[in-house]
Amino acid sequence: MDCRDTRPLLADHAAGKLDEVRTAAVEAHLQGCADCQRLAASEDALNAALARLPRPPAPARLTARLEDMVAAAEKPERVRARRAPFRASTWLTPFASACVAAALVVVVTRATTPAGPGPGALVTEAVNDHLRVVTSTRPIEIESGGIHQVKPWFTGRLEFAPRVTFSGDDDFPLQGGSIGYFVDRKAAVFQFKRRLHAITLLVFPASGLTWPSGPTKQVGRLAISENVSRGFSILLWQDDSLGYALVSDVNMHDLETLAGKINEP
Amino acid sequence: MSYTVGQPLGRALLSHADAAYAYALRLTRRPSDADDLVQESFARALAGAAGFRDGSLKAWLFRIVRNTYIDLHHRGAPRPEAEPVDIIDDAPLFQDDLELDRLRRVVAEDIEAALRELTEESRSIILFDLEGFTETEVAGLMGCAVGTVKSRLARARAALRGKLQDYVR
Repeated sequence: MDCRDTRPLLADHAAGKLDEVRTAAVEAHLQGCADCQRLAASEDALNAALARLPRPPAPARLTARLEDMVAAAEKPERVRARRAPFRASTWLTPFASACVAAALVVVVTRATTPAGPGPGALVTEAVNDHLRVVTSTRPIEIESGGIHQVKPWFTGRLEFAPRVTFSGDDDFPLQGGSIGYFVDRKAAVFQFKRRLHAITLLVFPASGLTWPSGPTKQVGRLAISENVSRGFSILLWQDDSLGYALVSDVNMHDLETLAGKINEP
Repeated sequence: MSYTVGQPLGRALLSHADAAYAYALRLTRRPSDADDLVQESFARALAGAAGFRDGSLKAWLFRIVRNTYIDLHHRGAPRPEAEPVDIIDDAPLFQDDLELDRLRRVVAEDIEAALRELTEESRSIILFDLEGFTETEVAGLMGCAVGTVKSRLARARAALRGKLQDYVR
């Protein structure tokens, strides 16, 4: 076995996928070939690096839509709307739109349950959205030159004006903003940093959501729900008609400090 | 979740939603586009459920995701040139132990960025291998002969190592 025969097998060798005969042949070649040894080591390193790739889960709102589609496909005779209409997209074909529309008219046997996802779902959605932002290739659509540059950028992109006056400071520099989704509605996404940690602030219309009913903590003028999920700290609060979700892997104290700054009149 | 042919496959498909989303995100590079791609793919899968005969349901779903991506992504736009075929002998080798050591310290962000620079074909075959699909399944996903999967994967990994050299200096 020469280099040309060996090299296509090195990845499988590194992953332990080769049978005994080919394993023995590859290892015999490796003993006398420094170049292939180096390549084999790089295959090991590449496998280890690929194993470190995160696997972002499907966002809660997507999972909910897929469940609706499946329900519609399996029980087409049950007809009634369950969720708010989802946004039209340039990506969706009329075919998919029709399927989703059909899904959205699935009977709700749970018609008597409150509208919107439960309180735990808000925490899950906030963490998922934070993960989506930090794993996104373009997490920031408007670079920050301060809040007075970021906020006007949202005008015309949202049906509401996100009330955030904090411009960032040395402890919590504002990185920028983007448009995202929270559950079934558009959200303004602000990105702050705390040292090397990313902090995501989502601002969205609060109506129709079921908020956590557990204990709250007074931070500034507002009562804030503190939550911990999957190693992330999540603060949720309402201010008039808007909802706020602040998510990061920083400690709760740091996040409360930032929430206090965001809530300053 | 196992799936038995003849049973409603929607519930079984849902068990692969996270994996499909992770793949879609790396294809489209934008979360909102990944959402749409997975929705469209599920719509097609549910509509074509009768077409699923045997084998891995997850591989079948991934094939739909990839085909849907190619169909929609390149709609109205010329398909980009295929990645030049990498000659294995010319593939970049890490020249010394220092470079190997750097590769070992590559963080997830680096490898995400390097993956994004690959062509869809190279990215997909690496991700399929990472998902644990068999060579036969990968061949079905890529629309190629089983006998060419290894060499395609080796070329894609060589291309990825080449891209990673930019991140490990």
